[in-house]
Amino acid sequence: MGDYRTRRLIWVLLAAAVMGVLIYPVRMRMLVSPPAYQLYRAVEALPKNKLLIVSCSWEAGTKGENAPQTEAILRHAFQRGLPVAIFGLNYAAGPMLAGDIAAQVAPEYGRKYGRDWVNWGYRTGGSQMVAGLARDIPGTIRQDVNKTPVDKIPVMRGVNNIKDVSMIIEITPSLTVPIFIRYLYGVYRTPIGYACTGVMAPEAFPYLDSGQLVGMLKGLTGAAEYETLIGHPAKGMAGMGPQSFAHLVVIAIILLGNILYLRERARSRRP
Amino acid sequence: MTPTHDAIGIWLAAVCTIAIYSILYRENVLFRLFEHILIGLATGYGAYIVVTQVLHPLWYTPTFEEGRWYDIFALLTGALFYTIFSRRLAWMSRFAMGVLMGLGAGLGIVGFITELAPQLQASFKPLNTINNVMVLVTVLTVMSYFFFSREHGRGLAASSRLGRWLLMVGFGAIFGNTVMARMSLFIDRANFFINDWAPQVKHLALWLWAHLT
Repeated sequence: MGDYRTRRLIWVLLAAAVMGVLIYPVRMRMLVSPPAYQLYRAVEALPKNKLLIVSCSWEAGTKGENAPQTEAILRHAFQRGLPVAIFGLNYAAGPMLAGDIAAQVAPEYGRKYGRDWVNWGYRTGGSQMVAGLARDIPGTIRQDVNKTPVDKIPVMRGVNNIKDVSMIIEITPSLTVPIFIRYLYGVYRTPIGYACTGVMAPEAFPYLDSGQLVGMLKGLTGAAEYETLIGHPAKGMAGMGPQSFAHLVVIAIILLGNILYLRERARSRRP
Repeated sequence: MTPTHDAIGIWLAAVCTIAIYSILYRENVLFRLFEHILIGLATGYGAYIVVTQVLHPLWYTPTFEEGRWYDIFALLTGALFYTIFSRRLAWMSRFAMGVLMGLGAGLGIVGFITELAPQLQASFKPLNTINNVMVLVTVLTVMSYFFFSREHGRGLAASSRLGRWLLMVGFGAIFGNTVMARMSLFIDRANFFINDWAPQVKHLALWLWAHLT
């Protein structure tokens, strides 16, 4: 029972820290990390005559992290006027959620569905599908979410294989990025960007160090960094205050727990 | 007051979130009910998307409407997996399994070369910065920790102990990132409660006040 009470107290403290800062926002200064800056620089340098593929392999469970990342990346692409294709590998709902975000953001920059961006929808098949995508995009994708054949969609004109793709950015809570690294970067040297949840970030650093990834966004912090870089603070930045305060609470709880543990141990050792 | 689609959606989302978070208080029926609803919805939605966005455009249409009749063999090969449920026909599933394993093995070899070789290459760094020296020390000591074919004597024991400590640092970083990730998800929900649901509650309260007083 005591354990339950302590646990509940921790939840209440964390909820209070998060909600308190959401109600009374605190301005946070955002320092951009090298991986986020590298991704921004890479997108900034993309040619406008090649397709940027944004793979949205996430769903509602990680919306808190992946949605702000998707919005920031799409905003940057639409700002620059890059042709964009959205699709998803692992989670069926991903392309639909990302499509909603794109439909909201695109008109702000005068971008239209079909002419400037397209949603291919969900595709199964994992590595086989990605390997097929490299050789024949229209043959592998065939039609968009509205059932329009891809060869009839203006933004897809001249897009035949992976050589017509400038970059792929994988936004996901899963470790699906190795599929793109193996069959696209590894074989065709297509640049790969990665936007992952905080949990997945440590596993992705070796790919970044070896140059297999051009850049990376790490969780909500990554989204906030990217929003800073494109000059459009949104949900990512809004989350930085609550996140910092929640982290302070967690650190305080860990320190307190260790102090109490050491005190208890010292007391039990006394004769 | 006529509730709009948005308002209904917001109230539904709020009820679902509260029901799921109720597990933080204790195990309860409401949590179980909404957990099952979530799993059912996700499975149903996934099946619907697979049929409408994958099977229909990529298999049904080419096979029956575009004359690619030979695509029927994809269905037949795939259907062989289900023979595993019959004791008499289970041997047929081995054909499908063999195709899948052959494909996986072939692609796996490409994957091994294109994914791991650059990482091996990247771990050979010139020892001209502290970072690079740390990479070398970490790689060697962590690998020595997983070296089990010889008893860990004095030298190897020291190296593997350092490797274990460095692994702990790595696990700490992963745990820190996990905390950050979970907090981000909670922030999203808290944001929803404050910026989307709270105005709806206020709206309802004002409506009730106007009609009941």
